[in-house]
Amino acid sequence: MSPILVILFSLFSDYSENWEHIYNYVLTDYIVNSFILVSGVSTLVIIIGSVTAWIVTNYQFLGRRFFEWGLILPLAIPPYILAYTFTGLFDSYGTLNEIAGSIFNLQKSESLFPNIRNVYGAILVFSFTLYPYVYLICRTAFLNQSRSMFEIGRTLGLSQKLIFLKLALPVVRPALIAGTMIVAMETLSDFGAVDHFAVSTFTTGIFRTWYGMYDLTTAMQLASMLLIFITFCLVIERSSRKNASFSTISSNFKPMQIKKVSSQQSFLFFLICFVPIFIGFILPILEILNWSLRFNSGFFEKHFFRISFNTILLSVFSAILCTFIAMLINFSIRYKNSSTIKAINPFLNIGYAVPGLILAVGIVQLFVFIDNNVLNSFEGYFVTGSIFGLIFAYIIKSYALANSTYEAGYQKISQTLDDSARILKSKGLNLLFRIHFPLLKTSFFTSILLVASEVVKELPATLILRPFNFETLAVSTYIYASEERMIEAAAPATAIILIGLIPIFFLTKMIRASRLEGKE
Amino acid sequence: MKKILEISNLFHSYGNEISTIKDFSFSLKDGEIASIIGASGIGKTTLLRIIAGLEEPAEGEVRIKEKLVSSKNFILPPEKRNLGLVVEDRALFPHLNVKKNVMFGINYMEEKESLTREFLELFKVLDLADKFPHEISAGQQQRVAFARALITNPDILLLDEPFAALDKKLKSDLHVETKKIFKEKGLSVVLVTHDEDEAEYFSDRIIEFKEDQIIIK
Repeated sequence: MSPILVILFSLFSDYSENWEHIYNYVLTDYIVNSFILVSGVSTLVIIIGSVTAWIVTNYQFLGRRFFEWGLILPLAIPPYILAYTFTGLFDSYGTLNEIAGSIFNLQKSESLFPNIRNVYGAILVFSFTLYPYVYLICRTAFLNQSRSMFEIGRTLGLSQKLIFLKLALPVVRPALIAGTMIVAMETLSDFGAVDHFAVSTFTTGIFRTWYGMYDLTTAMQLASMLLIFITFCLVIERSSRKNASFSTISSNFKPMQIKKVSSQQSFLFFLICFVPIFIGFILPILEILNWSLRFNSGFFEKHFFRISFNTILLSVFSAILCTFIAMLINFSIRYKNSSTIKAINPFLNIGYAVPGLILAVGIVQLFVFIDNNVLNSFEGYFVTGSIFGLIFAYIIKSYALANSTYEAGYQKISQTLDDSARILKSKGLNLLFRIHFPLLKTSFFTSILLVASEVVKELPATLILRPFNFETLAVSTYIYASEERMIEAAAPATAIILIGLIPIFFLTKMIRASRLEGKE
Repeated sequence: MKKILEISNLFHSYGNEISTIKDFSFSLKDGEIASIIGASGIGKTTLLRIIAGLEEPAEGEVRIKEKLVSSKNFILPPEKRNLGLVVEDRALFPHLNVKKNVMFGINYMEEKESLTREFLELFKVLDLADKFPHEISAGQQQRVAFARALITNPDILLLDEPFAALDKKLKSDLHVETKKIFKEKGLSVVLVTHDEDEAEYFSDRIIEFKEDQIIIK
């Protein structure tokens, strides 16, 4: 909370001339563009994430086993990398336009594809990289739905399509809202992609104010506005979730039956699932490979292995720590029903929406204070500029991911299981590890995957908070790309994608084997 | 006979009129079976949850074996009350097999294996020991739930509509078997049900919850 409070307190500082300029000329643009961006991305990710999750959990079709885990692949591509590759592909001198030009004999000045350097291009980039958050959470929720409910729906005259729209979607609404909220927060806090597409949003405004006007206080005041907006969204999300508390996991659970479909339907489902993977994963990979081949990139050298090791170490450690913290907090809320923790928990989620650089400034200011006033017996700075700052930032930024996964998991565990366990003398950590933990294994691993892949991709906070001479893959990609050295940038960018794939592969195996197939 | 449960001047409300318990007093003797009947949402389950320590009373006291367990300012946690609880949806732990479900409350005991076997046999589910809850029928699940609740030798057994989801034949079979076990073991039981015939069959006493009054028969 402290770095966030540091930012919020800036609202009470003096307002400079820069603030007046922003208020009069660009603030409306920031608000309108941010709104269009979030609305567009939310609508698209809800459609892509829920429809694909429903198809792979319910139907036997061409490539289903691949799509179960394949649909998560775009998680490995950070929006800024997709934005770089999109412009590389679709700009008037981009790869696809060159190919189209040679096929259709187009003039150099003619472009087959519309300009994507605008808010609509940004909506596409965010939607096709972030929909897996909604897909993952919806899939877990659909897997935990008992088939009896849908069978009853069929007997009441609902078609397959209506079952999805009238039963499946409303029942997983809490999970859907949770996933969409994550995507909205991720969209609002991103800088790299919107900056690349020259879209004026809150984050680009904050960066311009800081780096263009060198006015950190005004930048933090803008960030505070964004935080207030996010808090407002969270309050709405919480209240809607409270009104839709569904418990479906019980002893009467009957797993969904996978239905066979006709060959036309099978091909249609194949296309519906393939398009998001193609746009969000295959296309950017092809473009990065194209860069690597064109420039004959040397991938495996000492520096590359060092930065890969740093990245893995940081992401795994932060993910486990963050997941355990989220587990303990959610358990305390459930077990103790503590109104204090309940009230504090939504505020912990705000960290996700704090732009990385602003969060980094809050942490640096906090750590300098601690070093000067609490740890002053140590010579020089002890925590400032150390790895603690990075882990601290990652946990703050990723807590919402871990928390929403646990919340969605806990909503599906009936309270009668806790009551029975408590009557049978199981309390505290005993209850957590004997009952909750085995039932929340999927949530646990989902959380680790989400947090780890987030950490691997995190750029601005890492850039500012990293210890001296400490590089990660994201930092390395950024440095090379900003110097237009795509030959070197292609290697760490590919590594970010490959590292992101490892937990995705293992997690999907675990999700498939989860719940009823599992033993104690 | 000694009083095993004493409830005096109990008040409780969730804030809506229907779920209100007003000035309710009642006592249960050792080995007695009492049923609570009444319409849905009238507070029957809430009363059971207050006895179990899962809900706090607004006013009044609950005593088990003369020991104060619930009052306005004091709640003895459910795990320290030595009670058994069986609910309508069985609440079997879905990740544990039948044997581990039954053994759950006595895991610390040396004789847990033999005791578990004894109760699995008593409730005729020994051959299902390695099955998971979703692999057995509703009636079998309810037998497992009874075995799990009784194996801890509770002072009072709390039953919240345990037969409601079963079909007629299964229900009447289980009625006969469970009543026999309750009487043989001399169990003190509080049964919440909306089925008057079931209440009459099981009970030494029936408490009827109505909107504005409580009738003890």
